[in-house]
Amino acid sequence: MTMDRRTVLGLGGAIAAGVALAPGLHLFAAPANSTSPDSGSAQPGKRWGMLIDTTRCSSDCTACLSACRTENNVPLYGDPDRDIHWIRKVELRDQNRRQLPVNLPVLCNHCENPPCVHVCPTAASFVRHDGLVLIDKHRCIGCRYCIIACPYKARSLVFYKTKPPRDANPNVPIRAAGVVEKCTFCAHRLDEGKMPACVEACAKADKNAMIFGDLNDPNSEIHQRLLKEKTQTIRADLGLKPHVHYKGI
Amino acid sequence: MLSEYSAIEGRSPGYWKLFAALGGLVLMGAAAFLYVEHHGHAVTGMNNQIVWGLPHVFAISLLVMASGALNMGSMSTVFAVKQFEQFGRFSAFLSIALLIGGLAVLMLDLGRPDNMLLPMVYMNFRSMFTWNVFLYTGFMTLCILYLWTMFEYKQYKKFVGTAAFGWRLVLTTGTGSIFGVIQGREVFGSAITAPTFVAISLTSGTALGILLLFFTFRFTRRELDDRLIFGMRNAMIFFLMLVAYLLVVEKFTRFYDPASYDVEMWILTGPWAWLYWLGVWGVGVVVPLALLFNRRIGNSVRGVLTASGYVVAGAFCFVAHTLLAGQSYPFDLFPGYTITSVFQDGQAGTYMPTLWELMLGLGGVGISGLIYLLGIRFFRMLPARGEAPKGWELPWNP
Amino acid sequence: MKSPTSLAGRLSRTSFLILVLFVAWIATPFSVQADPPQPEKAVRGPCVRDAEWMRRNHMDFLKHKREETVREGIAVKSESFLSCAGCHTSRERFCDRCHAYAAVSPNCFECHQYPK
Repeated sequence: MTMDRRTVLGLGGAIAAGVALAPGLHLFAAPANSTSPDSGSAQPGKRWGMLIDTTRCSSDCTACLSACRTENNVPLYGDPDRDIHWIRKVELRDQNRRQLPVNLPVLCNHCENPPCVHVCPTAASFVRHDGLVLIDKHRCIGCRYCIIACPYKARSLVFYKTKPPRDANPNVPIRAAGVVEKCTFCAHRLDEGKMPACVEACAKADKNAMIFGDLNDPNSEIHQRLLKEKTQTIRADLGLKPHVHYKGI
Repeated sequence: MLSEYSAIEGRSPGYWKLFAALGGLVLMGAAAFLYVEHHGHAVTGMNNQIVWGLPHVFAISLLVMASGALNMGSMSTVFAVKQFEQFGRFSAFLSIALLIGGLAVLMLDLGRPDNMLLPMVYMNFRSMFTWNVFLYTGFMTLCILYLWTMFEYKQYKKFVGTAAFGWRLVLTTGTGSIFGVIQGREVFGSAITAPTFVAISLTSGTALGILLLFFTFRFTRRELDDRLIFGMRNAMIFFLMLVAYLLVVEKFTRFYDPASYDVEMWILTGPWAWLYWLGVWGVGVVVPLALLFNRRIGNSVRGVLTASGYVVAGAFCFVAHTLLAGQSYPFDLFPGYTITSVFQDGQAGTYMPTLWELMLGLGGVGISGLIYLLGIRFFRMLPARGEAPKGWELPWNP
Repeated sequence: MKSPTSLAGRLSRTSFLILVLFVAWIATPFSVQADPPQPEKAVRGPCVRDAEWMRRNHMDFLKHKREETVREGIAVKSESFLSCAGCHTSRERFCDRCHAYAAVSPNCFECHQYPK
């Protein structure tokens, strides 16, 4: 009987904890900011976000995609159904064909209410203090429930065993077969004070279609532009509060 | 009235042949697991749109039937239909066997099976999967206790049996909710999905129980009163009508919402429509009901067995349709726009299962079967004679 | 009983002998390779923690750091996995020698690249 009672208690606890944690899901205390010069930290008050100006994004440019693959060692298997895409270019046409097609990159939206994090049984998917939705691949069991839950198709399972490419970026590990991965907003670069690779590449290609910054900082460019310009998020109706905003759709 | 329980002898060549066949399935499943584990999931038919394939269809069908297999026990313990009390042990044990088989497939198909114990260490209590971990272990515990009370402590049977009955309803609701609470996929957002899973578990569990009881009794040359089978037939007819009702209500509520026109039309006429009409409705509901309502077929044991076979296959089709059609439907990132990309945006997913997945799924069936075979051999699970009380008449016959 | 000449007695003695021989055979490689491993010396020092402490606790240390880095975003560069290579230049001659000797196979390098 004890075992049984324990299970029942566990379930009660599960419900209680689920309700208690539901609104914010902050399992860890905010880290003290280390003053040591070589440490980069996720800042608790920050909310990283992106604004994509689709009017500046052209169909023939794939600078952000290739920058992402090189920076994050994302392999391309040549198997369209199973290739990993952290960021992909999408072409939109309205169904009545009354507007010109719109090109835009789609990547993980780093939602405020991420459904992938809600469904992950081991909390391998989690929200970092600065609003990044990340995957702890040490903890991922490869159940793929998050891929089912994500409405943006932002996640991919690693279907093949991969070897690191010859000129691999050592700052980003490659991924073992069987875990799920996705865009990290280049968390490793953010921690060093750099911009994500795609944003940098977009600026280098002289498009400047991707604006990245801290949504909570009233002086940041992204904050200012979101106030002034008419933007939207993908599937706002789902209530996920994505942190990637689009202009010109 | 109740006859004594006895274990089966299990020395006949037939027993060993069956044992070898099921053992072969388990070995095949093990081989498939090692192969997929070694090469990565690329050797399966699954892809980034359809991430749950045939192994999950097998696993979830087994789990659904596991909760349904408890029907016969519940019928006597909870609803006081005393004729089925003799099958209580069989019923609870079958639940355990099916649960283990189903969970094994689910675990072995993980991308990182080496990490399969992590859900016990780190728990995210918002995840339906974490809930299911508790629901499955709890159900298993209750079934074992239920069995124990039936063997030793009859005075607690009512209590534990009722708890197990309640638990199995919650359990199957939990299983169904995996596909009912995902708003991101248009097909996985219906509140009726979980109750439909419960109804499917009722039909398929009863059907599997009928089949197994009949053939176990036949092969061990034990008597089984036909009226018992007809009693279960009547229950199955009722459950089948419940399934039909829920399927209709689901489509009715969905079609009332203009935003669901596209997705519902796609289900009814799209690439998976054949599975919906032929599998879920035809094999799962219409054919068995037609057989059971037929005066001649419905009143013959062979007819009931045939219908039961259809019902089990129909449950499999239902799970397959829920999973595969649900995942194939293209993500609607920008409603009102057509969308194209190199990542199959705006296209329906395609899925062609490979042999490895079939082997893994059948491995789970083999595990359940082996547990059943061993259980009825070493424990007194089955009555020596399946008797119905003298003068007992079924209230209704087709 | 004077002499255990029964079949059962003889069988049990034989099987015990076989067991002893089997265990001895299995254990042979361990007794032969008794030399402790010689991991490569660090090209410079000091280590982020005391060397003796690291020898015993590096696995827990790395695991703790990984939790902090990945989940809480506290990335201390000098204590990162990649910085090991600053002093221990070769994974094969440093990490792998001991791991092979102790017959442990941590799966770090399935994903992480040891800088060359």
